[in-house]
Amino acid sequence: MKKQVLAVIGAAALAIGGAGCSPSTPGAAGASGDGTGLIRVVLWPGPEGDAMADVVDQYNSGQGKTDGVEVQMTLLSRQDTFSKEATLMAAKSSEQDIYFVASYNVGQFAASLTPLNSVDASHYFPAAIEGLQYQGEQYALPLDVSNHFLLYRKDLIDSLLSDSAQQAMYKTISAKVLGTVRAPKPADQWDLDDFKAMSAYFSKTENPDSPTQYGTILQSKNLLYNVMLWDDVLWGLGGSWTDADNKAALDTPEAQQAVQFYADIYTKKWASPDSAQAEFPETQAAIKSGSVAFALQWSAGFAELNDPAQSPDVAGKIAIAGMPGGKTHVHALAIALNKYSRNQAAATKFLSYLAQPAAMDIYAKSGGIPAMPQVLSDNQGINPVFAEVANSIDKYGYAEPVFPKSFDAYSQLAEDLSGAWVGSTPVADACATANKNLEALLAS
Amino acid sequence: MAVRSQASRARWVLISPLLVFAAVFVAYPVFQGVQTSFFGLTLQNPSAPWVGLANYAHLFASQTFGGAARFTILFAVLVTTVEVVLGFGLAVLVNRQFPGKRVVFSCLLLPIMIAPALLGIMFRLLLNGDIGLVPALLGKVGLTVSLFAPGSVIPLIVGLDIVQWTSFTFLVIYSGLQSFPPDLLEAAQVDCAGAWRTLTAIILPIMSPVIFAAAFLRLIDALRTFDVIYVLTGGGPGTMTTTLSIYVYKTAFTSGDFGVASAASTVILLVLIPFVPFVVRRIARPEGRAK
Repeated sequence: MKKQVLAVIGAAALAIGGAGCSPSTPGAAGASGDGTGLIRVVLWPGPEGDAMADVVDQYNSGQGKTDGVEVQMTLLSRQDTFSKEATLMAAKSSEQDIYFVASYNVGQFAASLTPLNSVDASHYFPAAIEGLQYQGEQYALPLDVSNHFLLYRKDLIDSLLSDSAQQAMYKTISAKVLGTVRAPKPADQWDLDDFKAMSAYFSKTENPDSPTQYGTILQSKNLLYNVMLWDDVLWGLGGSWTDADNKAALDTPEAQQAVQFYADIYTKKWASPDSAQAEFPETQAAIKSGSVAFALQWSAGFAELNDPAQSPDVAGKIAIAGMPGGKTHVHALAIALNKYSRNQAAATKFLSYLAQPAAMDIYAKSGGIPAMPQVLSDNQGINPVFAEVANSIDKYGYAEPVFPKSFDAYSQLAEDLSGAWVGSTPVADACATANKNLEALLAS
Repeated sequence: MAVRSQASRARWVLISPLLVFAAVFVAYPVFQGVQTSFFGLTLQNPSAPWVGLANYAHLFASQTFGGAARFTILFAVLVTTVEVVLGFGLAVLVNRQFPGKRVVFSCLLLPIMIAPALLGIMFRLLLNGDIGLVPALLGKVGLTVSLFAPGSVIPLIVGLDIVQWTSFTFLVIYSGLQSFPPDLLEAAQVDCAGAWRTLTAIILPIMSPVIFAAAFLRLIDALRTFDVIYVLTGGGPGTMTTTLSIYVYKTAFTSGDFGVASAASTVILLVLIPFVPFVVRRIARPEGRAK
């Protein structure tokens, strides 16, 4: 009997303890090798991983031979790359020499990284390179730059702009939605009110003749990346995470208005109800299927929507415009040197190679969006979004505050605000909670 | 005497692989997890200072942890109850000979063959309002429903758990029914006992250890639910569907706060362990007694 009890206790401990975490174990110290040999790089799969694979191949067969360095790339899952890296960092592991990081978590990971002050970073967008600095040190080099655009059905908007009957209907709906009559405008001239009125106009709940079921889809899942999209509305309304004194500023009228903006569109059924659990792929699916007329989306989504093989119903009909609030979050996906790498000198050689336009030219030609203005300009023929990215980052880009817990803050805000975005939590309560939690994270 | 000593040695030799496994994969991680819960180990501060009970204080002050605990318990109790009832019903129904039994049996077991994360991804596509098969079929019969809207997301994840794990309770209870003494049922028939009386006075009492084992194993697993919910909702909207496992995962790997995450795991372990001897006594009862 006693044995059985012990056996079940053991089984339960294994079952429940699986959720637990082990503390750090001592790893190798940050010793430098002789600058040659094998180094390991972590990346995530998708366009960035595919593009980097080509760069690595070319390095290994060219410059790598001169440097005496061979690069081996490991792709982790897109969802859990940062979690797995966090585990390696907590264990002070030397398994990987170069980590994949981003401007939103470089502050959190900085304690496990070695600054890269010796690498020439002059070819990058200044906004991208500055977003990877923490406490005055350059902790990572940008690899791929991401920002947001309004992706819209050009055929539908053109039809509205050229048809007086549709324009009359739009004016009626805009008066109901906004309280003032508005004429339809081209998408690159929209402000947030136009976005709202257009969402209503292209929804069957307001306009039974709408060619789409819903005006838009909002990425409202409890996911940290969705906070970055919502931030564009917040910044577009003149708000920010923090005030001039670096105190949390999420219970301001601007923040409440930004949350209400999402809640209005969702609860009035001007956005797909699936918005509540939507992120990048759901948004792509909604545009591809023709059920929405436009959406706020990441730059990486545009090329796929105009590819006849991947989007047969809408390819050729999708156009791109700046964000309606006139602001776009910018972040860089980046690479950084593991503080516990056993071969930092060899890893630094590869990082120096990546910081040159020639390497990023390969990266661009292989599907990435490098954070170098000159490379984007030289490769406009490959991907039409390159010109838009360069222009948009230059004119409308902003970065959220970087502090040690900024990665945590994105996740916390997703938790605190995602319920209010879809009307299941009162806006004022959600903003007050978000403000309190952000204040605590800023202070810690 | 020598024979006894030899037998005792053989017993230790035979059990040693299991002991080593348990020491390495159970005792050591649990010990390290508990130890970490007293340190302020974070990604920003890998030097891990001793913080005493501060991580536990933080945990008990956290509304998110409290909400996750409430949701997890309600979710686990609800799905376990439904799955055990359905599993038992299916096991009794299938426990006879009929044409196509093998096909039915295979279909019933299919859901537990699929990895939970894969099931989550599959349903994320199948239930998508824009491209999913299920909303499209519902639309054909005039039903427009968003299964991912805040009002339907909890019934959705409960339903998906039932779809996947009823197979498990069915399998365990069906296996138990195979060793059910048939003479008892024959005796009940001779005594003209009705179906309800046979079920409540004979089958259920004798099967209760098996049902209890199925319920216990399922409950433990439901309390750890992570994959499907994380893939489908990420714990949202807000924290509406955040389970304890999602809380621990996010605290450890998003916030990088391993101390608090370990404290949460330890609390879960301490809350569950006292139930174990009670459950073992119930499961290990020699056999149920018919009334």
